[in-house]
Amino acid sequence: MKEKDGIINCPQQQLILYVEKEDGKYEPIQTGSYLTSNYLDDYEQKRHHLEESLKKQILAKEISPVYYYMILEDLTVSELSARAGLRKGKVKKHLKFEHFKELPQETLQQYADVFNTTILDMISLISEQKDNTLNAKPVS
Amino acid sequence: MSNTNFKHKMAAHCESGAVTSLLNNAGLEITEPMVFGISSGIFFGYFHKMRSFAFPTFIVRNKPGSIRNNLAKRLGVKFHTEKFRDADKGMKRLDELVEKNLPVAVQVDFFYMDYLPEWERVHINVHFIVVVGKMGSKYIISDSYFPKLVELEVASLKKARFAGGSMSPKGFLFYPEFIPKEIDYPKAILKGTKKVCFNMLKIPMPFLGIKGIRTFGKKIVDWPSFARDTEHLSHEIMKINILLEDQGTGGAGFRFMYASFLQQGAVLLNKPEWTLLSKEMMEIGDGWRDISLFASRIGKNRDLEPDKLKELGMMINERADVEERFFHRLKNSLN
Repeated sequence: MKEKDGIINCPQQQLILYVEKEDGKYEPIQTGSYLTSNYLDDYEQKRHHLEESLKKQILAKEISPVYYYMILEDLTVSELSARAGLRKGKVKKHLKFEHFKELPQETLQQYADVFNTTILDMISLISEQKDNTLNAKPVS
Repeated sequence: MSNTNFKHKMAAHCESGAVTSLLNNAGLEITEPMVFGISSGIFFGYFHKMRSFAFPTFIVRNKPGSIRNNLAKRLGVKFHTEKFRDADKGMKRLDELVEKNLPVAVQVDFFYMDYLPEWERVHINVHFIVVVGKMGSKYIISDSYFPKLVELEVASLKKARFAGGSMSPKGFLFYPEFIPKEIDYPKAILKGTKKVCFNMLKIPMPFLGIKGIRTFGKKIVDWPSFARDTEHLSHEIMKINILLEDQGTGGAGFRFMYASFLQQGAVLLNKPEWTLLSKEMMEIGDGWRDISLFASRIGKNRDLEPDKLKELGMMINERADVEERFFHRLKNSLN
């Protein structure tokens, strides 16, 4: 790759690329990410759609906030169980809406640490569910 | 407390970058491509189904930790390494070393590096950074993927060093404790290259080396069966670009950096044929770069019909063919 082809203007994400300089030497340049520069909007749109779709599933009581974060963070049940320090069978149970409400604070904290979020943020997904339910009620 | 003499430099890859940076700061002049080449960094592996990955994936470098281990063996450098069961003890030990003004590399989960943009951060337990100081509740970090020194909260670094899951860091840290006065670079370069040729050509498993590239080319048409929907498939196809270009490779899945290693090696070994091989490797890299761009384009356009995936698979298979010829020639050049 020639140096001129490697220069990408993307201050948000800088990286090192090895290119052929004018003197024929293969050396590093600091440049921008091609993907972030051209397709960040597409990534954000897909992420937004996924979040909305998962929130709808929480609203329909099909999944729990643990499932929501697991999918968003691209984790498997095995990986999540190892990271949270919980048995796989337990994690599988916690992915279901009906079991989430029974979780003790300590377990919630274990999940929150993995997802780098707070218990409050996890619970707020359920609260949103309640709010939406309330909003959906017709005013008599 | 921070090591004001530490010179931060961005690098293509986190592990080769951290090792290069520690050695440079300890007085050994060595480039990142040389570290990468001597340690037999270039590789390929395809994983269609694995418990720790939610989707098929691939790697373009050797096993994490191998860059440091192989380099140490081949150059005679000694790294002091430590792991910890207890997180508090691991953090205390790091503080003791930082207090002595010693730059220390630590293994972390990339997800908690909150100075990086959110879209970049994923759970991967094999990121390497160098801790060069501490000020109050923050560590001063030199990360190969960031243009300048940055701060990271103690709590974030603790989570990152002691994250669980596959290849968990267990607080792993290292720093150079001995650098020989005389280093036999030609011997180390030849050894590293011999191993690379073996890894790419001779490992019998169908998912590793050149065979792994072919498996990738063949299996990519099955990717839709793993996807939740079209947007998920698009995301995973576009991740090919991330793995080859953005996730610390120096471009084209390390092929450009390896070309630079061969070019430097040609001079040190006085092997003019390596200059031609380095040029060839650069062209091989251009082909991988085309794959990255093709994958991001079809992903963005949701143009993910079977014929497009087949076309992508054929481009990948073509890389297997050219790399197979290349590594045979490289192997022959060692005789």
